[in-house]
Amino acid sequence: MRPTSGLAHALTIGVAAAVVVLALDSAVHVLMAQNPFGGPRPGADPQVGGIVGWLLSKQSEFYREMSSTIRAAKSDGSAVWTLLVISFAYGIFHAAGPGHGKAVISSYLVANQETARRGIVLSFASALMQSLVAVAIVGICALLLNATARTMCGAEKVIEIVSYALIAAFGARLVWTKGGGFIRALQAPQPLPSMALAAAAPHDHAGHGHDSHHHGHSHAHAHVAHHGHEHRHDDHGHDHAQAHVHDEHCGHSHGPVPTELAGPGGWRRGFGTIFAVGLRPCSGAILVLVFALAQGMFWAGIAATFVMGLGTAITVATIAVIAVSAKGLARRLSGASEGGGALIMRGLEFGAAGLVLLFGVGLLFGYIAAERVTCL
Amino acid sequence: MNVAMCRLLGLLLLAGSCALGAGAAQAHPHVWITAISELIYAPDGSITGVRHAWTFDDMFSTYALQGIETKTKGVYSREELAPLAQTNVESLKEFAFFTFAKADGKKEKFQEPVDYFLEYKDAALTLHFTLPLKTPVKPKELALELFDPTYFVDFQLDDKNPIKLVGAPAACQLKIQRPNDGTASAQKLSEQNFLSGDNSNYGAMFANKITVDCP
Repeated sequence: MRPTSGLAHALTIGVAAAVVVLALDSAVHVLMAQNPFGGPRPGADPQVGGIVGWLLSKQSEFYREMSSTIRAAKSDGSAVWTLLVISFAYGIFHAAGPGHGKAVISSYLVANQETARRGIVLSFASALMQSLVAVAIVGICALLLNATARTMCGAEKVIEIVSYALIAAFGARLVWTKGGGFIRALQAPQPLPSMALAAAAPHDHAGHGHDSHHHGHSHAHAHVAHHGHEHRHDDHGHDHAQAHVHDEHCGHSHGPVPTELAGPGGWRRGFGTIFAVGLRPCSGAILVLVFALAQGMFWAGIAATFVMGLGTAITVATIAVIAVSAKGLARRLSGASEGGGALIMRGLEFGAAGLVLLFGVGLLFGYIAAERVTCL
Repeated sequence: MNVAMCRLLGLLLLAGSCALGAGAAQAHPHVWITAISELIYAPDGSITGVRHAWTFDDMFSTYALQGIETKTKGVYSREELAPLAQTNVESLKEFAFFTFAKADGKKEKFQEPVDYFLEYKDAALTLHFTLPLKTPVKPKELALELFDPTYFVDFQLDDKNPIKLVGAPAACQLKIQRPNDGTASAQKLSEQNFLSGDNSNYGAMFANKITVDCP
């Protein structure tokens, strides 16, 4: 490794990040102005408006029905079923709106060459965590401590800031790692077919023991001729960046912690996403729980919260699977073109990593309007 | 390389819109307020301030009352609710009290709220407060808007007598424009927000507009 390459790496990542930011600026600006997760697409078909309005009115409708249903459930047990159905529907519709980590999870999946299966698991796990956090907040603050709404809302705000900071930190790590892969792809001479084939030859990683010592080996091998070649080393516990590009160092670049972030096989990274995203509870769930508690129906509120989470997970998982499939499609399309394919894919991953960072930073500092806890 | 870069950027944007676009829905309100407001006039016909009475929905009222100790369970006196009213008006400051006034097209500022208190009746909390104008105005046209730009709070003017002009000159004419219902606002959303790209003031579509013309 050249002595200056660390600095060069950092600088190039910075420049590349700036380019990506500029490229995304117009789009992101529009998104950030209102909310990053339910972004309107410029020049969208007017029909979208109808769908948005419909989603919006449905959400409000289900949400408003919850309070009367909880009241009814006090005297009529069967109303609990109605409550669960409403909560489930609300979860499905509500998750289509801002928040609930759709964008973060989807971007993470795209950046990390994750599978659809893992996307589904992450979506469900983070929704489950959101529900648990909501129940914990209300259980501890309201039920045990009899804290006021103001205190609870303050706690929500703190948790929210921590969650956004985690997302930003997570995005920064992704950008760093994926920036490395992207730069190597940029620096790589247009690979010759023989080189690509050589790279695609089976490697024996067994002796490397990358997981046992965290030196952060980023394996850079250009699988240009073999797009879609999956490194599924789940069972071995290896963390191989899919950013496999053979540059002159033949792949051993000592980046910061690339192996900790990239590639399939790293459930630990997945937990990071679940934690960052799932930490922030849904204000709606908190309101429902407090209301249920006041009606002496706390258990019904808890049930409603988890069913809501289930609905949320279904929507988020659907979107995550769409994002992963879209990347698969991009991979196939770019694979059809010679040479630039690897670059495009690395760029795509880098861009997705940048999005995670932008969301985190935007949420944290911009306090994107629709995404913040409002304490009255 | 240029071709590749262009394609790359295109794909990045595609990925971005895939990650985001599928959820084109917006936030929905978590708090519903039914508002009755009064415009207060000085004897000389100038407007001195706005007096609000905001009734919160069932769910939010219950939520807000969490942890408030009372002598009698379920009965909340004005005194017992005083700390909460204090919290409310302090918090509302951050949101400019969701009240936006323009006198002949010029934005007017409000002072700190006065005479604020909460009332609990029929399982609902009502927040009363008065917002004095920084400087009383005597415009030909006063426009008052009531909305939450982030649409966390949904404002609805009361069905009967939502706006009262207290001590206004007899010639003054009151006009009220309520936000459209769901379908109509969706229409507006697609036209204004999606096409213009300016949706920073999303909640404005659900604004209640009050205009008073005094010739």
